[in-house]
Amino acid sequence: MSDVDSAMATPDGDGDQDSELTLDPRVQESIGRSLKAHYDDIVNAPVPDKFLVLLAQLEATENRAAGASTDELN
Amino acid sequence: MSSTDFKDGLIKEIPNLRAFAASLSGSMQLADDLVQDTLLKAWGNSDKFEPGTSLRAWLFTILRNTYYSLYRKRGREVQDSEGTYAERMATHGNQESHLDLADFRKALAKLPEEQREVLIMVGATGLSYEETAEICGVAIGTIKSRVNRARTKLAELLSIGSLDDLGPDRRSAAAMQRIGSETVGS
Repeated sequence: MSDVDSAMATPDGDGDQDSELTLDPRVQESIGRSLKAHYDDIVNAPVPDKFLVLLAQLEATENRAAGASTDELN
Repeated sequence: MSSTDFKDGLIKEIPNLRAFAASLSGSMQLADDLVQDTLLKAWGNSDKFEPGTSLRAWLFTILRNTYYSLYRKRGREVQDSEGTYAERMATHGNQESHLDLADFRKALAKLPEEQREVLIMVGATGLSYEETAEICGVAIGTIKSRVNRARTKLAELLSIGSLDDLGPDRRSAAAMQRIGSETVGS
């Protein structure tokens, strides 16, 4: 069982006085599954190219700047 | 850490950043703007990242701060115009979960932000309670109680966990439980 699962399966929190909040474990499990389904659905979606382009540009700019400052030193 | 390693680290986290940003803002379009801002800030502050610590937690902190300082109002406006979130996002993956994904997302969007963000971080992202507490700047006990409240509210919104959805035996058990907790609470 991963940290996440065991965390989700533990309804009692320190300092939590809302004891009526203890949900049926099956309800908790169902919510946990839906939560993962929602999140993983987006995680598994294709990443737009613009992010890779942006990072490549940032890296290129940094490399150029590094190259320029090396030139200045020489 | 070389800038290429850092860049590769960022690329690996993009899917998680998008999923967290969408969960926060309620819109895929806002999410992608938010991710772009986060990547720019992360790149500009890469010297502040401590290698060996969780890059995901560091990036989530940046994304969350950016959201609360710049995007929150826009997010609410988009949600008010309704539909964007569920329509845009209910396109990928399977629907094996027994709650319908679109219905679940509508319910999730109705949670107070402070509950929604912790529920996502603890329940879906792989971040620990400790990391979540650090990202949000509150105590672990606060995170736990927010998670509990979020789950209860979701169950209510989705009409699961109400007495009518449970059999007669469970109904009386739940009633007993409630009486018990009232006694404890009074």
